[in-house]
Amino acid sequence: MAAVANMPVSDLLKSFKLKTKQQELLIRVSILCLVYILAFITRLFSVLRYESMIHEFDPYFNYRTTLYLTQNGFYDFWNWFDYESWYPLGRIVGGTLYPGLMVTAALIYRILHFLRFAVHIREVCVLTAPFFASNTTLVAYFFGKEIWDTGAGLVAAILIAVCPGYISRSVAGSYDNEGVAIFALLFTFYLFVKAVNTGSLAWSLASAFGYFYMVSAWGGYVFIINLIPLYVLVLLITGRYSMRLYVAYNCMYVLGMLLAMQIRFVGFQHVQSGEHMAAMGVFFLMQVFYFLDWVKHMLSDTKLFQAFLRITVTCAVTVGTIALGLGMLSGYISPWTGRFYSLLDPTYAKDHIPIIASVSEHQPTAWSSFMFDFHILLFLFPAGLYFCFKRLSDATIFIVMYGLTSMYFAGVMVRLILVATPAVCLISAIAVSATVKNLTVLLRSKNKGVQTGSTKGSGSSKASSKALLDQSQPFQKNGAIALLFGAFYLLSKYATHCTWVTSEAYSSPSIVLAARGAHGSRVIFDDYREAYFWLRQNTPPDAKVMSWWDYGYQITAMGNRTVIVDNNTWNNTHIATVGRAMSSYEDEAIEIMRSLDVDYVLVVFGGVTGYSSDDINKFLWMVRIGGGVFPVIKEPDYLVNGEYRVDKGAAPKMLNCLMYKLCYYRFGEMLTEYGKPPGYDRARGVEIGNKDIKLEHLEEAFTTSNWIVRIYKVKPPNNRW
Amino acid sequence: MGNFFIPSLISFFLLLSKAESESESELIADLFALQSESKSGVIHLDDRAVARFLTSPKTPRPYSLLIFFDAVQLRNKPDLRLRQLSQEFALVASSFIANHNSTNPKLFFCDIEFRESQSSFSLFGVVSLPSIYLVGRTTKSLKDDSERMVQGDFTRFTDSLVDFIESRTKLTVGPIHHPPIISRAQTGIILGFLLIWSPFAAKKMLSGETMLHNPRIWLSGAIFIYFFSVSGTMHTVIRKMPMFLMDREDPERLIFFYRGTGMQLGLEGFAAGFLYTIVGLLLAFVTHLLVYVKDPKAQRVAMLFSIFVSFWAVRQVIFLDNWKTGYAIHGFWPSSWN
Repeated sequence: MAAVANMPVSDLLKSFKLKTKQQELLIRVSILCLVYILAFITRLFSVLRYESMIHEFDPYFNYRTTLYLTQNGFYDFWNWFDYESWYPLGRIVGGTLYPGLMVTAALIYRILHFLRFAVHIREVCVLTAPFFASNTTLVAYFFGKEIWDTGAGLVAAILIAVCPGYISRSVAGSYDNEGVAIFALLFTFYLFVKAVNTGSLAWSLASAFGYFYMVSAWGGYVFIINLIPLYVLVLLITGRYSMRLYVAYNCMYVLGMLLAMQIRFVGFQHVQSGEHMAAMGVFFLMQVFYFLDWVKHMLSDTKLFQAFLRITVTCAVTVGTIALGLGMLSGYISPWTGRFYSLLDPTYAKDHIPIIASVSEHQPTAWSSFMFDFHILLFLFPAGLYFCFKRLSDATIFIVMYGLTSMYFAGVMVRLILVATPAVCLISAIAVSATVKNLTVLLRSKNKGVQTGSTKGSGSSKASSKALLDQSQPFQKNGAIALLFGAFYLLSKYATHCTWVTSEAYSSPSIVLAARGAHGSRVIFDDYREAYFWLRQNTPPDAKVMSWWDYGYQITAMGNRTVIVDNNTWNNTHIATVGRAMSSYEDEAIEIMRSLDVDYVLVVFGGVTGYSSDDINKFLWMVRIGGGVFPVIKEPDYLVNGEYRVDKGAAPKMLNCLMYKLCYYRFGEMLTEYGKPPGYDRARGVEIGNKDIKLEHLEEAFTTSNWIVRIYKVKPPNNRW
Repeated sequence: MGNFFIPSLISFFLLLSKAESESESELIADLFALQSESKSGVIHLDDRAVARFLTSPKTPRPYSLLIFFDAVQLRNKPDLRLRQLSQEFALVASSFIANHNSTNPKLFFCDIEFRESQSSFSLFGVVSLPSIYLVGRTTKSLKDDSERMVQGDFTRFTDSLVDFIESRTKLTVGPIHHPPIISRAQTGIILGFLLIWSPFAAKKMLSGETMLHNPRIWLSGAIFIYFFSVSGTMHTVIRKMPMFLMDREDPERLIFFYRGTGMQLGLEGFAAGFLYTIVGLLLAFVTHLLVYVKDPKAQRVAMLFSIFVSFWAVRQVIFLDNWKTGYAIHGFWPSSWN
C-alpha cells in the first residue's frame, strides 16, 4: 500500500520497464526534439504575420540564383554569365558567389520532390534558415557535451534555439548565407574539437569536410581558418602539444585547403592571400614541433639537444620571415583585403573605404546592442569563462578562445554578433548547467549527511557543499530551492525576452513595411513590390534601370530588368558613377545616364510615409562614394556648416541635384500632415526647400501609392529638326 | 608706442627701397634658401617677409604661397586642433617638396604666427582660425583675391588640403610620405632582438616555465577582452567618441549617458560593461572561492551581498537600456508593475 501511495514519476517510468539510464536518455531525446521544433517555430513570426516571402536585399539574389539552379541544372549555374546586372559589364555569377546556400536549397527541393512533396522552390528558400537553425541546436548539444557534459549541452541547445543574436539572421524568409553558415561554422568547430580530443583521423577528415561546406557557404570561413591556427598556437605555447593535436590539425588543414580550392570564388587564396598565411605558418610550426620531438627522442644528450634546438628555431624563424617578406614584395601573397583589415585596425574602414563604412551592419557595436541580443547570457558569460578556466582542457580552451575572439569582432561590427552567439550560448550554458547541477546535488543529497561525489562538476564546490551540509543543513536546502527557482525564473525571463525581440525587431521583411496607424491598427505598405511588378509589366524587357545599389538585387529578381549596380559591390567605380549621377545637376547627370544607356531611374522616398531609410537619408553616402572616385563631387557642397539639410536653408547644390529633384518632384503640392504646410517631409520633419521642381530630361513614369518608390523615364534626345 | 612705431616705420621704408631693387630671381632664391633651412620645408613668415615677398613685388609674381595661419596661444584649445593641423600641413609640405625635387613648381608652404605678425593677419582679413590662404601669382589684394580653404574641409585635413592645392594650382601633390611609426633602424634592432630572443623563448616554452603557463593570467586577459568588447570600446575608438559631453546649456554639468540607439559615450560604455562583468564574476566568486571561507556567518553575509549587488546591477542595466533605446526590455518583473 505504502509503495502505491508515494509512487513518484520515476516509478511510473519504471512500470515501462526502463532502467535509469534509459529514462535519462528518453528525457534527453524528448527535450532535444522539443528544442528542435522550438527553434523552427520561433522563427516563423514573419510568415504568419506577413506571408511566405523572401526578405531584405541580398536574399533576393540568392533566391534568383537558386531558381536558376533548379531550372537549368548545376553546370549552367556554375557557368552562368548574368547580363542583367552591372550593365554594361555583366557579372560572372558562378565565379563570384558562395554556392553552398543555393546548392543546399536546391538539394532539399529535389529531395522533397523525390518524396512527392510538390512544393515551390520559394517555400524551400524561405524555410531553409529556420531548418538550419534547428540543426544548429543539435550541433550545440553535441558541442556542449564534448566540452563539458550532457547537461551543458542541453542548456546550450535551448539557449541557442531562441537567442536573438542568431534569430536576427535566421528568421523564415531571410534566405542568406549566414543562415546555413552558422550551422556549418559550429559544426566544423565541433568536429575539430572532437578530432583534437580523440586524435582520430576520421573526425579530422569530417571536420575538413565541414570546413569545405563552410567555405562554400560564406566568406566568414576566414574566421575559422584564422581561429583554428590561433588555437593550435596557444596550445603549443602553453605546452599542450600532443600527437592528437598534430593529427587533427594537419589533416584538417591540408584536406580542408585542397577542398576549399574547389570553390571558384575562393580559388587559390589559401596559398596566396595574406589572410590565410597564419594557418600555413602554424602548419609549418607543427612540423617543426614534431621534428624536434623526434630529434629529442633520438638524441639522448640534453645539452646537444639544446644547442640543436637553438639553431633550428633561429633558422626556421628566419626562413619563415624571409619567405613571407619575399612573397609580399613579389606580390605573390596579396595583402589583406579591406574587410579583414578593418577588423584588425577598425579605424581603417572609416577613413579609407566608404563602401564598407556605409553599410549599417558594419557599424561598431554600442553596449546596448549586446544587451538586446544576448540578455542574461551576457551576465553569465564571465562566470562561464571562470568555470572553463577552473577545468582547463583542450576543449574548454577552444571554446574560450572562440568566445573571446568573436566577442572582440562583435564589438567591431554589429553583424558579427551573429558569429559570437554560439560561443556565448555555449559558455553561458556551462555557467548555468554547472550552477544548477551544484544546487540539485545539494537538494538530492538529503539525509545522507556526507555526500558522495558523483558529479564531474568542479571539485571545489562539491567539497564546499559537503562542508556546508555538515554545518547548516536546514538553511542549505531552502536556500538551494530558492536559488533554483531564481535560476529558472531568470531563464524564463530570457525566453520571454527572446520571443519578444523576435516578434518585435527581427521579423519584419523590410520589403513590406508595417506601421502602426492612428488607432493602433497595423498599416501595411507594399510599395516596393508594387513598383517592381510595375517595372516587370510596363517596361520593355531590355530596359535598364538605374538606382542606388541597395535595390539592385530586388529589381533584377522581382522586376526582371537590367540594373546598373547591385548589392554585390565589386566595382567601386561603377557605383561611384551612379553616385555621381545622383549628386550632379540634371543636365550633367543626363550625360552620365546616356553613357550608361539608362532608361529608367528609380528612387526610394520616405517623405510621405515617414520611412527613414530612404534615398535622401542615404544620399550623403552616395556623395561620399561618388566623391571618392570623382573629385568634382565634394561633400561640403551639400552641407551647410557641416549640417545636412533639405529645407530652405539647404545648400544650393543640394536643392538642385538629381536625387533631390527626383525625390521631391511634385512633392511641394502635397499636403502630408494636418496643420503643416504643403511639402512637409515627414521622414525628416521639415518643409522642403525647393517646391518648384522642373524636370528637363526625365519624366515621371510611376509613383507607388504611398510614394515610397518613384520611377522616372529618361526622355529620348530632342528632335533636332 | 612711439618707440615701437619709429623703428618699424624705418625698417618698412628700408624694406620698400630694398624690395624695388630686388629682382625676381633673388626672391625665388631666398625662398628656396628659407625652405631648405626649415626642417619640414614650411617657411616661417613674419610681417617683414610678407611685405617683401607678397606686398612689394609686382604681380604676376613668379611664385605662389600657401599660408597657414597659426596662433601659439590658441594651440591648447582642443577644438581648433591647430597643433595637429600644422603637423599635417608640414607633412603635406615635405611630401610636396620631395615629390617635386627636380621640377620645382614654385609653390611654397608658409606659416604665420598671430602674436608676432598681427598686421599680416589684418592684411589678409583673417578673423578665425584655422585658416589657410593660397596667394596665387596674380593675386593683387591679399584680402580679396587670395583663395581661402573652406572651413568644412578641415575634417579630413590632409586629403582635403591636397585636393585644395590640386584644384587651385593645377599642380599634382603626389603621394604623401607619412613618417613610419618605427624607423628603419629600429625595425632592424627589433628584428635582431627577436631573432636572438626566440631560441631562449622556445626553450623556456618547451620546459613550461613562462607566464603563459599560468592560467590566472589567461583568465584575467579573457575577462579583460570580454569587458573591452561589451563595453563598446571599439565603438568609442572607431567613432572617436569622447568620454563624456558638456551640457550646452549648463557648462558645469557633464553628460555621461547619451540617449538613442547606435551611439554611446566612452564612460557610459565602461559603466555598462562593468555592470555586465560584475554579475558573472560574483557568481564565479560565490561558487568557487566563497566556499573556502570557514566562517558560515561570513559566507552568508558575502552571499547576501553578492545577491544584492547582482540584483542591483541587472536592474540598473535594464533600466539604462530601456532609457537609452526606448525598447522595453524585460526585467525581473512584468513591465506593468513598474
